[in-house]
Amino acid sequence: MGAVMLIEQLGPHGHPVLRLRIEGAGTECRIGRDLGCDIVVDDEHAAPQHALLTLLEDGRVNVRDLGTQNGTRVDGTRVPADAGAIIEQGEIIVGRTRLRIRTRHVPIGTERLFRRNFVRRHRTLLAAAGVSACIAYGGFLQWLEAPSSMLRSITLAGLVVLGLIALWTGFWALMTKLNHGGWQVRVHVAIASICAAICAWGYWVAGLVAFTVQWSVLVQIGVAIAGTVALAAVYLHLREATHYGRRVALALAGTATLLIGAIAWTIAIGVEDGDVNDVNLGPQVRLGEERVVPNRDIVDYLAEVDELQRAAGRERQKSLLNVPLADD
Amino acid sequence: MKIASFVVSVWLCGSAAGVAASAEESPVPAQLPVDPSSEEQAPDADTVDVDIANQELSGDAKVRLDAARDAVVQIRSFFNESESSAFHGSGFAVDDGRRIVTNYHVVAQSVLNPRRYRLEYLASDGRKGPLHVLAIDVRNDLAVVAADDLELPALKLRSEIPAQGERAWSIGFPLSLGLTITEGVANGLVENTIEQRIHYTGAINSGMSGGPALDTRGRVYGVNVSVVTGRQLVGFVVPAKHIPALLARAQKPLDLSLSPQQLRQRVTAQVLAYEAEVLEAGPDKAGTQRVQGYALPTKISRHVECSTVDERSPHVRMRVEAVSCWLPSRVLVQPRVYVAGLYMQHRILQSVGLHPLQFERQVNRIAAGPRRVGASADVAPFACRDALISLDGFDARISTCVRQYRLFAGLYDFDVTVVGIDNTQQALVSRLALQGVAFESGKRIMERYLGALQWEP
Repeated sequence: MGAVMLIEQLGPHGHPVLRLRIEGAGTECRIGRDLGCDIVVDDEHAAPQHALLTLLEDGRVNVRDLGTQNGTRVDGTRVPADAGAIIEQGEIIVGRTRLRIRTRHVPIGTERLFRRNFVRRHRTLLAAAGVSACIAYGGFLQWLEAPSSMLRSITLAGLVVLGLIALWTGFWALMTKLNHGGWQVRVHVAIASICAAICAWGYWVAGLVAFTVQWSVLVQIGVAIAGTVALAAVYLHLREATHYGRRVALALAGTATLLIGAIAWTIAIGVEDGDVNDVNLGPQVRLGEERVVPNRDIVDYLAEVDELQRAAGRERQKSLLNVPLADD
Repeated sequence: MKIASFVVSVWLCGSAAGVAASAEESPVPAQLPVDPSSEEQAPDADTVDVDIANQELSGDAKVRLDAARDAVVQIRSFFNESESSAFHGSGFAVDDGRRIVTNYHVVAQSVLNPRRYRLEYLASDGRKGPLHVLAIDVRNDLAVVAADDLELPALKLRSEIPAQGERAWSIGFPLSLGLTITEGVANGLVENTIEQRIHYTGAINSGMSGGPALDTRGRVYGVNVSVVTGRQLVGFVVPAKHIPALLARAQKPLDLSLSPQQLRQRVTAQVLAYEAEVLEAGPDKAGTQRVQGYALPTKISRHVECSTVDERSPHVRMRVEAVSCWLPSRVLVQPRVYVAGLYMQHRILQSVGLHPLQFERQVNRIAAGPRRVGASADVAPFACRDALISLDGFDARISTCVRQYRLFAGLYDFDVTVVGIDNTQQALVSRLALQGVAFESGKRIMERYLGALQWEP
């Protein structure tokens, strides 16, 4: 078979919007805004006659810039105006339009096994499990309060949980519909509810463990894990609802998580930070025999209290540095 | 710290810790307290007791006022260069007429913040001029001030406490309404306080702080100091017998070269001396009270008072028994800041068929306690430490939080919470709060408190 090349014009999210297969040595393909070009790009940064691709005898492609101001780039490098570049494959940028070129020189790998996404395959089961876990947590919180009307409280908690999941999922489903044409409701419900359930139940279990082992660092670790789970959730939602690649989705999810985290921090801790009436009593008390750390006796504890004098002194110094006394 | 509930609980017990509710020198706009129109509408306005109406008016109050008029000055405190006073109180000349006695709380701002507050007197003849502080007695809320070139007719002091029922008068400048005299009855020394206060049944209003309280012979038996707000005519007077000692110290001005820090150290030293006395004086072992198998510390120092109530439970399926203890007086060290205070509350919670997890929730909620009270201008944030601890007969989680005062480096607030954790149907939630104490004495009190807590089935 003779020389052949495949040109794919890529859309803003990196997926092909146009494909052109060209055969025969010496065949040319002109790219530009001019309607006479073989590939017409709707790009104001491209020249009417921008670049010329020529299929060579040996199956490679010669890329030439047709004297434009913005130039033509191959894999990020600008093509010299006089010589042009000869390539076997690569990404050409014309103005702001990206085109991917492939020739016979590019080896074609063996067929990859088609792996269906785990979440997609089990979406019904996962969605049902996640929503149940979330409702169970809401109900559990209500039960802990031992309200006078248990049925009413638990029903209310269930409805609130469903409402929150519906709002969040609705947003992502709409995004999916706009980008892909389908709603994918169950996939989004599964992602959202599973992650929320992990965070909620994880919070409760972390409180239990923090008291049992008397290790308050666990709280920070718990917050970090919750943050990671939230990041995973946003990442998965983005991957399902948009055309973004892995890196872009990860970057966006990371940014979103940091942003949400920063807002939450400002509201929950940042404003309260340095509050003179804020007391940290330690993890919530659990009654019964579920402790692994030996108790201290009074003398040992009082020795520790001595350190509080220095700690309180440091707090005072900080406070005075922050807002000095008017008369000093 | 839990000032609000402290005061309320004390009042409910009918004790006299209302001294805490000082008649502060608030810059209240001059308002006539009585609406004249309401008097006219009174149906019996014309049928006023004929006997009283025709009685020859007693000249007593007028005589007292005329005799004391020239000795009493209004003391006004100004913020920076401001021309309008920040707050005001009263004072009166004693001894050689060159020295003026007033309340510490009237001059506290200018003692603690001398560069921001200045003092001025306004005499009955309209003379005014700057005042300086000669000596302070934080504990008895007294101060001696003087002005250059000011000599007034002095009032005589009476160091005996008036008998209960003796007629008495109080003079001052209430709410900036001008010199005022009120008539009432001295009701002897207040019971259950650490500091001596004479109970005066008569009107004392803000602005009268520091004014003289006179007996039938026109002698000063005390200094107006405070009232219980929201009650009727319950006023307090500092006995005059504390004045001579202060005057003896007031020979020369509080050294004007003293830095604000040094002035605050002096105030701190007075508070610490007082605090050491009221908190340390007590039996060797703290007194306890037994409730549901727990021994709960009550008489942790000699002056502490307690009450036991069947508290209203926050949950229908839980019973709460509470023992509250407090020191029946505190010391005001700067406006709105009281120190050398102690408050203790033990609560025994009993589950009535709650699941352990549900009971746990209620216990945690109660252990979190009320919101602590303090302004960021006065105190620094708490530093806390929690641990599991073995007490006599039971295990508990203890959290201790300590903070310092911004103005007074030697004064600390303690907030200790103890929660019994080995029983799923009954729990002890106990809290000890100390305000404005030395770290060492706070720790000693903690030691007594923890040593006294005990459970015996």
